[in-house]
Amino acid sequence: MLQVKNVQKAFGENLVLRGVDIEVKKGDIVVILGPSGSGKTTLLRCLNFLERADGGSMDFDEIHTELKGASKAVVSKVRKKTAFVFQNYNLFQNKTALQNVMEGLTVARKTPKEEALARAKAALDKVGLSERYDYYPSQLSGGQQQRVGIARAIAVNPDVLLFDEPTSALDPELIGEVLAVMKKLAKEGATMIVVTHEMTFAQEVASKVIFMDGGVVVEQGSAEQIFTKPKEERTIQFLRRVLRDYDYII
Amino acid sequence: MQLDTQFMLTTFLHVLQGIPVTLTIVMVTLLVSAPLGFLMAVSKSGEGKIGRRIIAGYVSLIRGTPVVLQILFLYSLLPTALNYWIKEVLGLSYNIFTLNPIFYAYVVFILNTTAVLSEVFRSALSTVNKGQLEAALSIGMSAPQAYVRIIIPQALVSALPNLCNTTVNLLKSTSLAFMMTVKDITAIAKIDASFGYNYLEAYLVIFAVYIFLCSAVQGVFHLTERGAAAYKKPAVS
Repeated sequence: MLQVKNVQKAFGENLVLRGVDIEVKKGDIVVILGPSGSGKTTLLRCLNFLERADGGSMDFDEIHTELKGASKAVVSKVRKKTAFVFQNYNLFQNKTALQNVMEGLTVARKTPKEEALARAKAALDKVGLSERYDYYPSQLSGGQQQRVGIARAIAVNPDVLLFDEPTSALDPELIGEVLAVMKKLAKEGATMIVVTHEMTFAQEVASKVIFMDGGVVVEQGSAEQIFTKPKEERTIQFLRRVLRDYDYII
Repeated sequence: MQLDTQFMLTTFLHVLQGIPVTLTIVMVTLLVSAPLGFLMAVSKSGEGKIGRRIIAGYVSLIRGTPVVLQILFLYSLLPTALNYWIKEVLGLSYNIFTLNPIFYAYVVFILNTTAVLSEVFRSALSTVNKGQLEAALSIGMSAPQAYVRIIIPQALVSALPNLCNTTVNLLKSTSLAFMMTVKDITAIAKIDASFGYNYLEAYLVIFAVYIFLCSAVQGVFHLTERGAAAYKKPAVS
């Protein structure tokens, strides 16, 4: 369904992506792991044109485009087929939860107001926020804000959901509620690409794990394959580092 | 020393007629300067290098010179220049010297306030987190839609305190319009005072008038701020 090839991106002298290929099939839960600075967030942002790649191509259902020269029309098409969940939520501060979710429908997609309202309410209900329709982001906890962020993303019925470290900015006790929502979506068959540091989530939910380091894909495979029998030395080192946390209690 | 209260009362009544003139200058200036200043703020953060330089030059020229000097300069230059232009270039017979001097006041204060507001709006726009634009784009809004619905409303709220400052400063600067023979509050007081040298009384009267006007402006802004920033307040429930 979605395939990108040879994605390259540099910030000044700093090569962040050095030719990354990934493929996502309908219903896939792709989890991208890797140390910070490995380019995983940049890759995700390039998929949605929040960052413009320097090279590479994209095949997304009927869309075939170069990443660098993609026209405004193509960018807008791709954005309407995807939805992005940000690390720091990025909810519209001047809109209530309900308005945040409706905005993508009424403004960007010209959905009639009645229908948009129903869909927005359904999305908020799904993430467990039926009681918070009229709250402004500043009146919600981090976990609640991120769930609104997810509701805003799913309300537009995207083909692919992009999650950029959705739990990294959250207090530890709030992470669970967001992961629970994401698991629920995964079970319902949503296609997701998730950049995260939540190893348990990756192990339980991912249908495919991609390990990135230094701007390239080092290794990819099923969750079981990556976590129990990784082949590459760098993957082994990384997993040892992040999984070591379970060996002792602070 | 004794204050002539009778004189103060009649001057006060005279001065009241100057309030509409002062407020008209303020309103006209703001109505023209706000959109112009906003456009400048946007193009300053835009791509055009030449445009940015011109705007930066204009802003530093205006901010680097006293308003009094700008008034003296433009009031000496504009009428003669316009006269030459109308008579020699356009070949019309219109007598520019009969033009209401309030138009020169508009020019000076618009030039001034536009420069100030372009900075006010620029800093206000930069207070809105870049993530707001990204979020709007990511759900399929176009950049103009994102600006109109998400960025500008938030920028305006954070611009309110500075807008209040600008308006109060403008209101006070209009007292210099008397130098262009505009019959505003200050001009009326000075004329009244000059008959019997009651300058102290006249100035005391307009002191009060200006304090009242400025407080009213601040009050209006204060209420607007409270209403507009409702979304920033944390919930109690």
